[in-house]
Amino acid sequence: MQKLLETFLIGLSTGSIYALMSLALVLVWRSTRVVNFAQAGQAMLSTYIGFEIASRSEVFWLGLLFAIAAGALLGAGVDFFFMRVLFKHAVSGPAAVVAPVIATLGLLGLIRSIVGLTWGGEFKSIKSPASTDGFTIGETTIPFSALNLLIIVTVFVILIALAIIFQRTNLGLSLRASAYAPEIAQLAGIRTARTRTIGWAIAGGVGGVAGMLVTSFNFLSPYSLDLLLVFGFIAAVIGGLESMVGSVVGALILGIALTFILNYVGTSLVFIGGFVVLIVVLLVKPDGIMARGKVRRG
Amino acid sequence: MGKKITFFIILGWVLLLIGDRVDELRVYQGAQIAMYTIALASIVLLTGYSGQVSLGNGAMMAVGGYAAALTLNNLGSPVWFAFVMAVVVSALFGAFLGAAAARLSGPYLAGTTLALAVGLPEIANQFAFLGGVPGILFDVGLPPARFGEEFTQYKWFFWIATFIALIALFITSNILQSRYGRTWRAIRSNSLAAELSGVHSGRMKILAFTISSALAGLAGAVLAMTISLVAPGAYTLALSFALVTGAVLAGVSSLPGVVFGALILVAIPEVADVLANRWGGGENLNNYLPGLIVSVLLILSVIFTPNGPGENLRKHHHKKM
Repeated sequence: MQKLLETFLIGLSTGSIYALMSLALVLVWRSTRVVNFAQAGQAMLSTYIGFEIASRSEVFWLGLLFAIAAGALLGAGVDFFFMRVLFKHAVSGPAAVVAPVIATLGLLGLIRSIVGLTWGGEFKSIKSPASTDGFTIGETTIPFSALNLLIIVTVFVILIALAIIFQRTNLGLSLRASAYAPEIAQLAGIRTARTRTIGWAIAGGVGGVAGMLVTSFNFLSPYSLDLLLVFGFIAAVIGGLESMVGSVVGALILGIALTFILNYVGTSLVFIGGFVVLIVVLLVKPDGIMARGKVRRG
Repeated sequence: MGKKITFFIILGWVLLLIGDRVDELRVYQGAQIAMYTIALASIVLLTGYSGQVSLGNGAMMAVGGYAAALTLNNLGSPVWFAFVMAVVVSALFGAFLGAAAARLSGPYLAGTTLALAVGLPEIANQFAFLGGVPGILFDVGLPPARFGEEFTQYKWFFWIATFIALIALFITSNILQSRYGRTWRAIRSNSLAAELSGVHSGRMKILAFTISSALAGLAGAVLAMTISLVAPGAYTLALSFALVTGAVLAGVSSLPGVVFGALILVAIPEVADVLANRWGGGENLNNYLPGLIVSVLLILSVIFTPNGPGENLRKHHHKKM
C-alpha cells in the first residue's frame, strides 16, 4: 500500500515535468501545424544558460528565471527568423509536406552542435533547490523528496498562470482564436503572425522550465533532454496533440504509468513501456483521450 | 528492362575496376557510399514518393544489423542468408510500426520513429542477447582464396556492399516506376483525390513504410559488415539525422540523386576533420563540427532547395526558355 502511494507521488512529479514539454509541443502544433522537434534543443540551450546563472549565483530560482527568459526569446526567434522564412520558401513540390518537420530536426542538430562546441560534452549538474532525501513519516523514509514536491508545486503554478493567460486575457483569446481559425481571426483584426510568435515564445519559456526541472535532479549534457522530448511527444499524442488540457492529463498518466513500470517491473522496460503506450494509443485511440467526435489529424 | 539490367551490370563492372585502382581508405569509403546509397534509397521511397517522414532510419538500420548478426552467429547460416534475414525482420518490424503510425497523416510517423531512434540504443543496452554497449560481432569472413593474396578484406567488403547496393537500387527503381510508385505519388500530391480514384491510401502508406524499412535494414546489415560489429553506438540519432540530410541534399524524390547524397555524407567527416585541424583542433571541435556541418546543410537545403538542387536548375532553365 505504501509502495503504491509513493510510486503514485513520484509518478506525479515525473509526469508534471513531461506535462511542460508536451504543453510546449502542443502550443506550437496548434498554432503552426508543426511538431517542433527542436523544442528539446531550445530547452537544452535555455537550460545551459540557466545552469551558468544558477552555478555562478548559487541561486536555482535565478537560473530558472533566466532559463525562462532565454527559452522565450529563443522560441520567438525561431519562429520569427526561421519558420517565417521557411514557410515563405517551401511551398510546393514533393518536399512541401515534410519540409517543416525536417527543418525543426535540422535546428535541433544545429543547437546541439552549438551547445557542444560551447560547453563540451561532459555532464554538468546544478545544486538542487531542495533536499533530495525522502520525507520521513513516522519511522519509515519514503523516496518522495522535498524536491519532488517542489517540482509538482512549480509546475502547477505555471499551469495555473497559463490557464489564466489563456482563459482570462485578451492575449489568450487571440492565441486561441488564431489557433482555431487563423483566417477568421485575422479578419477579426488579430495580428495572427505576431500572435503565433508569442505562442512560440510561451512554448519556449515552458520548455526552459522543463529543462531546468529535469536538471535539478539529473545531469545536463547535449543529449540529456532527448528522452524528455520523446516522452513529451508521447504525452501530447495521448492528449490528441490538439488539447492543452489533454496533453497535461496525458503527461500525468504517462509519468505515473512509467514510474509503476520502473518500481514494479524493472528499469529495462521503462522506455519500451513508453513506446508501447504510444503504439497502443495510435492503434486504439489516435485522436487522443480528449477527442469528442471527429477532429482533424493534421 | 533489358537496357536497365545492362546498365547496372556495366555500372557494377566499372565500380569494381575503380576499386582495383584506388588505395585501401578509398575502397573502404566506397563500401560506405554503397551502404549510404541503400539507406538513402529507403528515405527517397518513403519521403519523396509516399510523402511520409521517418526520423528513425538509423533505428531501422539497427534492426537489420542485429537481425543479420544474430542469424549469422546463432544459426551458423551462410552470409547471404544473414542479409536476407536483415531484410525480412526489418520489413516485419516496419509493417508493425507502419500499421500503427503510417496510416495517420502528419507528425505521427515522424514522432514515433524519432522516439524509436532515441530509445533504441537504450533498449539494446538492456538486453543481454543484444550484447549491451560493446555489441555483438558480425564477421562475414575472409575473401575467397581464389581471388588471390592481393585481395584485401576491405575490397571484399566493397565488393559485397556494391553488389547488394546495385541489386537494391535495381529493385527500388523498378518498384518506383511501377503502379505502386505512381500510386504513392498520387497519395502524396492529393490523398483525397487518390482515395476517390479507388486507392486504399492507408494500406499503400503501410506498404511504403514496410519496403522502406526493409531497405534500411539491409543498409544496417551492410554497415555492420563494414565495421564487423553491431553495437548501439553505430546506429545513433546522429546517423538518422545525417540520412535525412543526405536525402534532402539528393533531392528527396530522385533515386539517382542518392549516390550524390551518399558521396556528401562520406565526405562530411573528412571535410570536418580538415577544418577542425585548421581551426586548432580540440575535443569539442572534433566531436561537434560534423554535426554542425550536417545541420547547417540540412537547414539551408530545406529552406532554399527543398526538392533538391536539381529542381532549381530545372526552374532556372525554364525561365530562360
